[in-house]
Amino acid sequence: MTMDRRSVLGLGGVLAAGLVLAPGMRLVAAPENVTEASDKRRWGMLIDTTHCDAACTACTQACRTENNVSIVGDPQRDIHWIRKVDLHDKDGRKPDRSLPVLCNHCEHPPCVHVCPTEASFIRKDGIVLVDMHRCIGCRYCMIACPYKARSLVYSKPKVPPDANTRVPIRAKGVVEKCTFCVHRIDDGGEPACVEACRKDGGGSMLFGDINDPNSEISKRIREVSTTTIRADLGLKPRVHYQGI
Amino acid sequence: MELLRSLAARIGVAVFVTLLFVLAVGLPANVQAGPPQLEEPKGGGECIRPEGWMRRNHMDFLKHQRGLTVREGIRVRSESLAKCAECHTSHTRFCDRCHNYVGVAPDCFECHLFPE
Repeated sequence: MTMDRRSVLGLGGVLAAGLVLAPGMRLVAAPENVTEASDKRRWGMLIDTTHCDAACTACTQACRTENNVSIVGDPQRDIHWIRKVDLHDKDGRKPDRSLPVLCNHCEHPPCVHVCPTEASFIRKDGIVLVDMHRCIGCRYCMIACPYKARSLVYSKPKVPPDANTRVPIRAKGVVEKCTFCVHRIDDGGEPACVEACRKDGGGSMLFGDINDPNSEISKRIREVSTTTIRADLGLKPRVHYQGI
Repeated sequence: MELLRSLAARIGVAVFVTLLFVLAVGLPANVQAGPPQLEEPKGGGECIRPEGWMRRNHMDFLKHQRGLTVREGIRVRSESLAKCAECHTSHTRFCDRCHNYVGVAPDCFECHLFPE
């Protein structure tokens, strides 16, 4: 039996399609209770420092409650996922500012590059996470991070009586940091700090998909002048600031 | 001599009987003969997988789901660890009893807030 060029190519195509589809059980409509991080999305944040009050701690408090981040009591060993930083221009040309600093979920995160166990990783939607099951607590990432966004759990954490059971606590000896409240995002929500800022604070935090040109955050970033902290390092942080 | 021998025999019998008694009364109370008898979870319907399969494979299953959830962001809500807690309402009653029996110490509950 002889086959012409066209039918050979056609047969090859059918076989290739079969190979691709056969293991692709995911093509079957997924049940409603399954969600997956999408590589089409890039979560980002815009913080309008002109509306951030120095005395307000709504975001930091909300973060501690949501993510079971207890206060150790020793300033050198306290764990911060988000913290308030006061800016003061020595020449007095710019007004004093107060702003929350959290993990910037960089596009090129140095913490991930230095991690020897691949515990730190970038999720498909751009969120930088620590896989606590793999972290050995070497703290390379803490040294690499220019934003001081990471903390080591030095001692056995206290479990608050009203702990949020949706977020596991972290055992002694791992490094933890802001997750952009990944459990809330996966349920279609937004980070606890953003929600608290809108409710109890100045409404200066905006969260959304910066890959989507029609999202509110993308529009705002296009319209107003924003910057990122230490933009000179070329890490492409995804937390943008307005007014500094 | 005869007296000494019979005395020794009597002591031997007494020790033997005492030992038998200790074994008969003391052991079942302290040392379990077979695997732990587990109670059925109340309120829940069927488990997400057959019971026998779960007994053998839950550790690999949980680890697999863990990898998918943490690293790929795939959340299967009906098969999450939190969902287990809806029927298996206590890790001391449902997890630790077997783990202690077979001598394994998984550290899941150092971080995951599972009902006691």
